[in-house]
Amino acid sequence: MKPSTLPTIISITEKEIDLNALLEEITLTSTGAAAIFTGMVRGETSRTGQAQGINYAPHETTYLEYEAYTPMAEAKMKQVADEIRKKWDVVEGIAIVQRIGKLYPRTPTVIIACTASHRDTGVFEAARYGIDRLKEIVPVWKKEVMPDGEEWVEGEYIPTKGG
Amino acid sequence: MNKITILFFATLRTRAKRSTMELELPNEINIADFKKILITKIPALEASLHHTLVSINKEYAFDEDIIPEGAEIALFPPVSGG
Repeated sequence: MKPSTLPTIISITEKEIDLNALLEEITLTSTGAAAIFTGMVRGETSRTGQAQGINYAPHETTYLEYEAYTPMAEAKMKQVADEIRKKWDVVEGIAIVQRIGKLYPRTPTVIIACTASHRDTGVFEAARYGIDRLKEIVPVWKKEVMPDGEEWVEGEYIPTKGG
Repeated sequence: MNKITILFFATLRTRAKRSTMELELPNEINIADFKKILITKIPALEASLHHTLVSINKEYAFDEDIIPEGAEIALFPPVSGG
């Protein structure tokens, strides 16, 4: 039996992300699987290409500086969690945490974790959906600081009514 | 009159050279008219406003949306978290 209130952890934080503590909080006695996505700061971008509206050449990143409109960001993270539950009602616990501040290469910046009874319930897709939506609607921005300058990274997604 | 608070983030904060301001607006105006008034106060924002996202009281808002009394409005570029 699932409890009537399923754990949903939402947070914008300047502190280090503690994956073990989060996992503990979203694991029920019925949980048998967790899908976890985490993203980290890349110190070297080796590919040439286009992402998030800017052309980039291979380059080195000294650090990323993240800022958030925290109250709205947490409200939108809650919306992402609600959307996940609507699409995958098998999901048990959800943790969505975005770290902000000055973050150096190899540092985890974000975590989306979803738990379910089994791995074949759609739990992988649920976590994937979570990170994709976070990158669309959660008001957080990063400035890339490089050895020879700095640049705000801008996304591409234009929200519609309700996100 | 309607006294609102405006918050600026990321590139909008850099362009506006401030992170917050208060503004008195006529009652019942929409976001499109608010933007026109804002440009008269901070001309440096004009170039980027077409590419700016707007929220009213922490929910995305659009040109036709009416600004409620005492609203908190935020202006920011498309998001880039993760």
